[in-house]
Amino acid sequence: MPRNPSSNSGHTRADSLYIPATCRIEAVSELTPQEKLFRVSLPDGRPLGHRPGQFVQVSLLGWGEAPISVASSPTREGYFELGVRQAGTLTSAMHRLEPGDTLGIRGPFGNPFDLERMSGRDLLLISGGCGLAPLRSLIQYCEDRPEQFGRVCILYGAKSPADILFKEEIRTWEASASFACATTVDNLPGGACYEGQVGQVTRLIPPLEIDAPRTLAAIVGPPVMYRPVIDELKQKGLTEAQIAISLERHMRCGVGKCGHCTIEHLYCCSDGPVFWLSEVSGLRGAL
Amino acid sequence: MKALTQTELETFLHALQPAWDVRAPIRLSDGTRALGRLEEGPLALLGGRIPRKPTDVFFAQQEKVFDALPDGSFRQEEPPQKPLFVLGFTAEDLECLEFIDRFFSSGFADDIYLRKRSGAVIGGLTGKCGSAGELLRIAGGTCDLELVFDGERFIVAAYSEAGEKLEAAMTCAESGASLEDLRRASEALPQDNRRLLEQASALLIAERVPDAFWAEIGERCIACTGCNLVCPTCTCFGVQDWRYPTHIERSRMWDSCQLDAFMREASGHNPLGSEALRTRRRIHHKLAADLRRWGHLTCYLCGRCDTTCPTGIGIVAVAREMVARHAGETARLQG
Ligand SMILES: Cc1cc2nc3c(=O)[nH]c(=O)nc-3n(C[C@H](O)[C@H](O)[C@H](O)COP(=O)(O)OP(=O)(O)OC[C@H]3O[C@@H](n4cnc5c(N)ncnc54)[C@H](O)[C@@H]3O)c2cc1C
Ligand code: SF4
Ligand code: SF4
Ligand code: FES
Repeated sequence: MPRNPSSNSGHTRADSLYIPATCRIEAVSELTPQEKLFRVSLPDGRPLGHRPGQFVQVSLLGWGEAPISVASSPTREGYFELGVRQAGTLTSAMHRLEPGDTLGIRGPFGNPFDLERMSGRDLLLISGGCGLAPLRSLIQYCEDRPEQFGRVCILYGAKSPADILFKEEIRTWEASASFACATTVDNLPGGACYEGQVGQVTRLIPPLEIDAPRTLAAIVGPPVMYRPVIDELKQKGLTEAQIAISLERHMRCGVGKCGHCTIEHLYCCSDGPVFWLSEVSGLRGAL
Repeated sequence: MKALTQTELETFLHALQPAWDVRAPIRLSDGTRALGRLEEGPLALLGGRIPRKPTDVFFAQQEKVFDALPDGSFRQEEPPQKPLFVLGFTAEDLECLEFIDRFFSSGFADDIYLRKRSGAVIGGLTGKCGSAGELLRIAGGTCDLELVFDGERFIVAAYSEAGEKLEAAMTCAESGASLEDLRRASEALPQDNRRLLEQASALLIAERVPDAFWAEIGERCIACTGCNLVCPTCTCFGVQDWRYPTHIERSRMWDSCQLDAFMREASGHNPLGSEALRTRRRIHHKLAADLRRWGHLTCYLCGRCDTTCPTGIGIVAVAREMVARHAGETARLQG
């Protein structure tokens, strides 16, 4: 019997792995009809201590628990944000919450984006649908530490104009000197007021001028998005070791115990959710 | 060495009761042999491994994660009042336990498991106590205390301080018993199934097992989940909340990778979306994925899944079929 169990450092509570810390909802805003943004603070305003790419296990007692990526950057202090799509039991209950209500939080958990390796490099940040929420943490980080990175290019694809997340923030990214930013929608319903491009997010890649050896890419989106985007990036000369992906899996515990998130020998919750493509491309069922 | 008759052992276990929470093989009123408390049924030490996994003492089929109380506080299961003495592990069960000890402690430490597990004293039960009196492999370590049945008496071997203390408290007639012969016989037990698993593992790692094999084996699975529920190294669980008038309970319950919703995501995407993939996962996880992660296989041949599976696709049966069909092919390919 091992006498010195490994530490649970990183988790909001040191005394038990599974008990959530009670957090306060500071603000709720509607991103789209299906998605809301929650601004949350930990007791005593202490920082969550996360890194971009990590997630928290969100609990509503009686409704359950689910992994939600932290959508804000650790450089924005005093709070953290969660962008939540109404998908099922827990997320529907969350959508009924208001400022002043409480939420249970465990974490932050998971392997984050490799900021050390990203330092000094050009970044190509590609997301689809709900995937912009986790990537926003990294985008905000780049926004707050522009000196740390080279050229940062943001590509985002949504189903329709009504599904675009963080519309106003995207406008500030578009206007920012530190970013190149392009958005596209799959469909443009009649009567929609929209000035951006129409088509899949993959279409935004070929026109880019990329200094391949200097560039690292990150992709977060629905499962169907990965292969075509990866193919386009390879066309541009990026190798699998230069492409970070964040994978979603059915997670119950978030800490490598419940087994629901395995990809062959890896646990998406603790070895991921962010992987370099080279770590997982040979694994059955990863993509 | 001390050697106790069944009556002496029974007296000893009862004498432990005031200070210990004793679990040992008993016969329940419905006829089932199970690990239980002495007052739950008569001792049933002989008869081979316990049908249920004995590790469920530390990782129960359903157990409390916490109660959330209206005042905002949380209540977890108290650590056991008395130390646990659990008797009834086979040598293979002990290897399984050693693995899940490491599994639950590594990375983030699972305090629910460790609270029950730490301080528990583990007793192996081996020797000529198989279901038809056949010899069960002697553990020779990996537990605090081992009782080896020689056909008449239980020979006592202690391997830890806690085990030695218990041994010292045992009273029996002078025996002159020795484990020599039994140990030799134990070492001579056939290792065929171990070799079979290793061969199957090598085939999986070399990607020599075609999808058609899994489609065919998977076709036979009726998703009863028995294989996972009896396996001492299966640790997967689901989590659910229950509302009571006075509190909300969050509990966890064993889950099975043979069920179609095991990995289905909110988006509908299911990385294990067919019987073939799920059956492959069950076998591949123990024989290939875990080898990569932990450096060893995580099936210790306890025998339960092969006995339990109603359609004959326990791990040894599948390994045998895999090797029979594809090992020759590998040899030809390599040759
Ligand atoms: C690392 C990670 C980060 C995520 N980040 C976000 C985010 O930022 N915003 C967001 O809106 N969503 C995010 N998700 C998805 C979110 O966890 C799921 O939508 C979750 O199922 C919602 O729980 P629910 O109770 O509302 O749905 P449920 O009622 O539990 O689920 C409906 C369906 O989803 C499946 N499911 C159940 N639990 C999970 C689970 N834990 N994970 C995946 N599928 C499950 C069920 O089998 C069912 O088919 C993330 C998922 C992961 C793994
Ligand atoms: S024989 Fe079956 S039940 Fe026993 S450890 Fe191996 S896989 Fe698990
Ligand atoms: S015991 Fe056999 S039939 Fe039942 S789920 Fe396991 S493999 Fe399938
Ligand atoms: S979510 Fe439980 S093991 Fe990864």
